[in-house]
Amino acid sequence: MPKQTVQTLDEPKTAKPFLRWSIISVIYLVMIFLLQLVEKAPWMNGYYLHILTIVGLNIILVASLNLVNGFLGEFALGHAGFMCIGAYTAAVIASKLTLPVFIPGMVAPYIQLIVALAGGFLMAGLIGYLVGLLTFKTVGDYLAIITLGFNMIIVNAIQNLDFLGGPRGYIGIPKNTNLFIVSICVVLTFAVLRRIIFSNYGRTWISIRENPIAAEMMGVNINRAKNVAFTIAAAFAGLAGGLLAQYQQYINPSMFDYSKITDILVMLYLGGMGSLSGSILGATSYTILMEILRMVLSAIDPRLAEWRMIISPLVLVIIMRTSQAGLMGNREWRWMRSGKEENR
Amino acid sequence: MQTIIQQILNAAQLGAVYALIALGYSMVYGIIRLINFAHGDIFMLGAFIGFLLATAAGMPLWVMMPLAMILTALVGVAIERIAYRKLRNAQRMSLVITALGVGIFLENIVRLVIGPETRQLPAQLPNQIIGWLSEHFGIAMSQDKAWIIGISLALMFILWFIVNKTLVGTAMRAVADNKDVVPLMGINLNLIIAATFAIGSALAAAGGIFYGQAYSIDPYMGINLGWKAFIAAVIGGIGSIEGAVLGSFMLAAIEVFSVAYLSSNLKNGIVFGILIILLLIRPNGFLGQPEIKKV
Repeated sequence: MPKQTVQTLDEPKTAKPFLRWSIISVIYLVMIFLLQLVEKAPWMNGYYLHILTIVGLNIILVASLNLVNGFLGEFALGHAGFMCIGAYTAAVIASKLTLPVFIPGMVAPYIQLIVALAGGFLMAGLIGYLVGLLTFKTVGDYLAIITLGFNMIIVNAIQNLDFLGGPRGYIGIPKNTNLFIVSICVVLTFAVLRRIIFSNYGRTWISIRENPIAAEMMGVNINRAKNVAFTIAAAFAGLAGGLLAQYQQYINPSMFDYSKITDILVMLYLGGMGSLSGSILGATSYTILMEILRMVLSAIDPRLAEWRMIISPLVLVIIMRTSQAGLMGNREWRWMRSGKEENR
Repeated sequence: MQTIIQQILNAAQLGAVYALIALGYSMVYGIIRLINFAHGDIFMLGAFIGFLLATAAGMPLWVMMPLAMILTALVGVAIERIAYRKLRNAQRMSLVITALGVGIFLENIVRLVIGPETRQLPAQLPNQIIGWLSEHFGIAMSQDKAWIIGISLALMFILWFIVNKTLVGTAMRAVADNKDVVPLMGINLNLIIAATFAIGSALAAAGGIFYGQAYSIDPYMGINLGWKAFIAAVIGGIGSIEGAVLGSFMLAAIEVFSVAYLSSNLKNGIVFGILIILLLIRPNGFLGQPEIKKV
């Protein structure tokens, strides 16, 4: 085949967009690192760090689901299932892995962490690929049902597997993760997602979203493109699951049930479909809003704290009634974009 | 042999409840192409309204059930009016997400107001064993099971009559066929859609009360049963009334027999597995019409 030299619109003409993005990522990491350093200081509240960690995990989940639901324009519901697979894989690896003795004790937790995360990432990606293969034929509502079905099967299967603890959950996972490591993973996730989505390949997803038949006529291999998106999204959900398992040190199958799915969806649509910036904004604002509500309501009366469960679905309904595009629509912050041209 | 017949009767009872829920899914989908994810929670709400009427107000079943059906129908209409109507012409996914939100809202509000405990509706149907069945065939069938199956079938027949033989039903089928032309014919579209939601919700409430009579109710049952009923509607071909009923009885049979002969823990896995296989082989269900796509 002759080598093609096609001038693409997305290719950054200058290094500027990447530079802007890198600067912001580094600032974020440095700030988190400083926060992590003063974790033990008397004036520091560990609770804030916990919230930031959860925000980080949610950002990874929402951004990866955005790839399928926002950019590819499908409606997949099984994201919590992939997270579940990642979490259990990482949990098993982290608690069963015995490292050779010559590795110094200082480094061992990190190696354990990396192996466990990679295991969760790859396993979830593999299952995501297989689910993607099976669900080619279906679109729209039916895809939503099938993916949800897979989620339920995964949860149901784990509830019946005794060596994974069954419905009681998996306990005794070593705590290898903290806020800083979660933040590194957030940055890595965005480095990958942003790079793929704003590339030429990413445009094929957007073309499928806009009109699948027209895209196919332009030579887009729809099945393949969909499956790639599915696999990547599932793999990053697995990464978030692996981080969660090693952060909480305890997981059980019902964590990855309907309520998790809706939480992810609320954050996704609050931020805006088809916008990576929106994923950050949605996950952050929703997680923090829920925590503030919990604090405010329990300050008034401890019994009221439960009422925030009513407020989150109301927020969702109100967003949908007022602006269906979410906070960001499909716009991006300038530093998140790649290239000069506006990506839509 | 007798155990198999016994299981078939159990399946018929469960299938009747599924069918009452599945019909609501199917009708709403047929008319505004919305998977009403809140429908399972409307079913749950209907059961709890019935529970409150029966325990707090002490009503007998024959008063409580129609009243609970009417109240639930009003809630269904209100949900359509407040949450869905404005989004009717928006992107379909916004509607689906709104429906998810409404469902969680209903679930949590019932949990907070009434409490998360599992409850039992006071048994108001006679539950003696039907004598001549056990004498002649050795089958133990209680009267309440017969009542539940019988009333459910009667309600389904009434629904079939409304949809196929009355003016409102004709308008409903017209809306399902082409939503844009119907208002030009002088039909009040909003009224027809409201009627659909009212009928669907009332049937779900009836299903909820029967479910509470036969089993037990809790605020989360709407998710699980709602999904199962939805699967039933999809198996039969969503949008088709006969399909919803057929699918419900099939699903109930699969479920009851897999619990009896395989494992009760794997019940949900088996049900969802069958759904996936079926959707891959026949994406439009047994009685559904294939959708024609245009560029």
